[in-house]
Amino acid sequence: MQIRCNINHKEYNLEVEATSRVLDVIRELGITSPKEGCGEGECGACSIFFNGKLVNSCLLLAGQIQNAKILTLEGLYEETKIVRENFETTGAIQCGFCTSGFVLRSYDYVKESGVKDEQSVKDALDGNLCRCTGYQKIVDAVIKSMA
Amino acid sequence: MGLIGKSLKRVDASSKADGSLKYTDDLEFNGRHGLVVRSQIAYGKITSIKYEDKFDFSDFTIVDYRDIDGENVNPILMDDQPFLAQNIVRFIGEPILLLAHKSKKALNEAQQNIYIEYEEFEAILTLEDSQDVKNVIFGDDNVYKTINTQKGEEPNYSELNVLEKTYYTPHQEQLYLEPQSMIARYSNEKVKIIGSMQCPFYVESALESLTGQKIEIEQAPTGGAFGGKEDYPSLMAAYVYLLSKKSKQDVKIVYDRVEDIAFTTKRHPTKMKFKSHFDSYGKLHSLNIDISIDGGAYSTLTPVVQARTILHIAGFYDCEFIKVTSNSYATNTPPNGAFRGFGAPQAIFAIERHMDDIARRLDVSPSKIREINLPTADSTSVTNAKIDEYKRVKNIFNLAREKSDFDKKRLDKRQNRGIGMALFMHGGGFTGIGETFLDSEVWLDLHKSGEVEIKISSVEMGQGALTVLPQIVADTLNLPLSMIIYKNPNTFNVANSGPTVASRTVMIVGELLIQTAKKILNALDKYENIQEYKEVVSKYLNANSSKRFTSKYKKPSYIKWDEDKFYGNGYDGYSLACYIAEVEVDPITYQVKVTDFYAYQDVGKVINPTLAQGQVEGGVAQGIGFALYERVVMESGKIKNSHLTDYVIPMASDLPKIEVGFIQSDEKAKGLGELPMNAPAAAIANALANAIDVEFDTIPITPEIVEQRCR
Repeated sequence: MQIRCNINHKEYNLEVEATSRVLDVIRELGITSPKEGCGEGECGACSIFFNGKLVNSCLLLAGQIQNAKILTLEGLYEETKIVRENFETTGAIQCGFCTSGFVLRSYDYVKESGVKDEQSVKDALDGNLCRCTGYQKIVDAVIKSMA
Repeated sequence: MGLIGKSLKRVDASSKADGSLKYTDDLEFNGRHGLVVRSQIAYGKITSIKYEDKFDFSDFTIVDYRDIDGENVNPILMDDQPFLAQNIVRFIGEPILLLAHKSKKALNEAQQNIYIEYEEFEAILTLEDSQDVKNVIFGDDNVYKTINTQKGEEPNYSELNVLEKTYYTPHQEQLYLEPQSMIARYSNEKVKIIGSMQCPFYVESALESLTGQKIEIEQAPTGGAFGGKEDYPSLMAAYVYLLSKKSKQDVKIVYDRVEDIAFTTKRHPTKMKFKSHFDSYGKLHSLNIDISIDGGAYSTLTPVVQARTILHIAGFYDCEFIKVTSNSYATNTPPNGAFRGFGAPQAIFAIERHMDDIARRLDVSPSKIREINLPTADSTSVTNAKIDEYKRVKNIFNLAREKSDFDKKRLDKRQNRGIGMALFMHGGGFTGIGETFLDSEVWLDLHKSGEVEIKISSVEMGQGALTVLPQIVADTLNLPLSMIIYKNPNTFNVANSGPTVASRTVMIVGELLIQTAKKILNALDKYENIQEYKEVVSKYLNANSSKRFTSKYKKPSYIKWDEDKFYGNGYDGYSLACYIAEVEVDPITYQVKVTDFYAYQDVGKVINPTLAQGQVEGGVAQGIGFALYERVVMESGKIKNSHLTDYVIPMASDLPKIEVGFIQSDEKAKGLGELPMNAPAAAIANALANAIDVEFDTIPITPEIVEQRCR
């Protein structure tokens, strides 16, 4: 099917199968910050903004993004600056495979004025899995990013 | 000087934070996707492979064992594993055929049109059935390896108390976030391998066995490994190589999570039977231990995992007589392999649970029992070596006991809450004479610009090698970090500094880099600043044709090892630690929550404190998963829960605040990567015994198990 959508502020007309996953559609365009960690919405590594809402792109089908506005980490470089810098300096990054998902999740939490307490941050991060860090330094980075 | 001990930012931090770093599956690719066709049965003979007449296979690349020019053996230790099954299959998921096609969808359709028939044999699906030799599936008794060792004089047992208990630790999945991924690049009839891996030269030697030639291997940025990418990538590389060679195109295989969990290696399930003798104060006099390890269908790294289990099974306690018997067994389940800790987390769970069990029998406190049994200058280890670390053991024990307020918290115990400890060690580097066999080498190339390039095979996989090793070299040469180049290794360009495993990278390779950097210092005229440095480099390079400085590993003379008796210093150096867990049991749901965790360790010199803390926090998290959440359900030889929805790893809210502390007892760095994985399970189980008076000798301790035991 033909899909018209806006990805990272750019208009696309794409010929795709209706049942292909948005994760694959985006990655095939060379936009590779969304990663496949589980393919079933558990790990959050494939997070993207879909019409302003953070979702797992592995659970979204191409047919659903007709006329949608999609933002990946590539399209939010400026907006995520503070969060990224805090991830870099607190030690919140190890292997990095989960990081783009965590940066977007953290950015969303900070942007939506999440509560600045450790338990609330941890709860907010529960849709994303990290196997390297034990999350502690990710939580620190999020708290540091909130004014 | 001055960079060691500084929390420099990771050199790869920004490319990971903005998502621009390209992992294997992110690299430009315009070739064929590969797929592995696997055995559907646990044990048997392939009788026929039929291709559906009505399905058009002409567009597919199909590979079987006959396409292998060299040896159909993945060379590790016992050389028992074929790349592709030839006749016999030994586990559900064993690779039989390889397919490649431009379209992933077409591959799945093709797979549905291949029919493999088998003559099934009676499979051995559990460790117990293998031990009982219900059927012979390996050698004449299913045993991969037997290692026994005994030290000291047997005590007079008549006046001593005795305690017999059996401890069991299960499979655990590494669950690196990036699944196994590998690409073969085809050009001019040559194949180059690029992929996610810990050990480029292991992959090289596997492909040399497969092809009879040296193939170029390059590590791509690796999204976590934890041992899971030690031996397994050799198989991945063989598959993409064979498909690429045959199709004359680039080929890529990226496992999805289900395939990765179901068919790649796991931590070895281990059963440890203890019989100890101790006096009425709790002083240990003898330990009699029998270890059984489930190796799975092929031996992979099992014999060295077994060696490490033995070397950690008695902790560093003072005990005059220790006897260990151990066997690793074949079963018709996916082969088990390396996972952070490599046998030590199993051993530490058993000995540290046992110390608490002795304390409970005598009604003394867990700290007292450990204090009574602390090693002295005269104590010898399970392998009859002097415990030179005795002072460091005592120091870390005292620090953790005091900082966590252990004794007071134990006395002030509240309902359903408890506190537990584990005192333990981890040996850095290869076991016994393993480092001598590895014969590691490092190169430092001095460039005209003055930049120094590290050329080694050690990889970045999240642990921070790309930052910490340059930090060591820059420190030695008194240069800024930006003057040091260190790229992902390619086997055609770098020295073989050995595999990136066994907590050896900073301790062994880092030490070789210091030695080599010192050679540069000695070769150059003195310099005071960067300008002078660049001048003396130019002068040196004008006068000398070689810009390469090298060093090779030499076993320190004070380290002795006798493989036959299994006697001696197991490792070049040990890290010591004492971890303390506080837990709370929910009286309604029976869920166990770790409320506080204290992790104190002596790892010698800490190179980069932030990265070192990260290693500890992440290792503790994996240890908490091992203790409470992670459970592989095996049914008829098949892993039933191969999804992230049913194989559960800790989330942020599952974890407590982890307090991390270091004692720096030494000017040299010891191993760090694996240490933190060793103790959380024991500390948590010990805390649960304190909380609800139930001894958990098997993990994971899920709510269902707690409920059963509390009934």
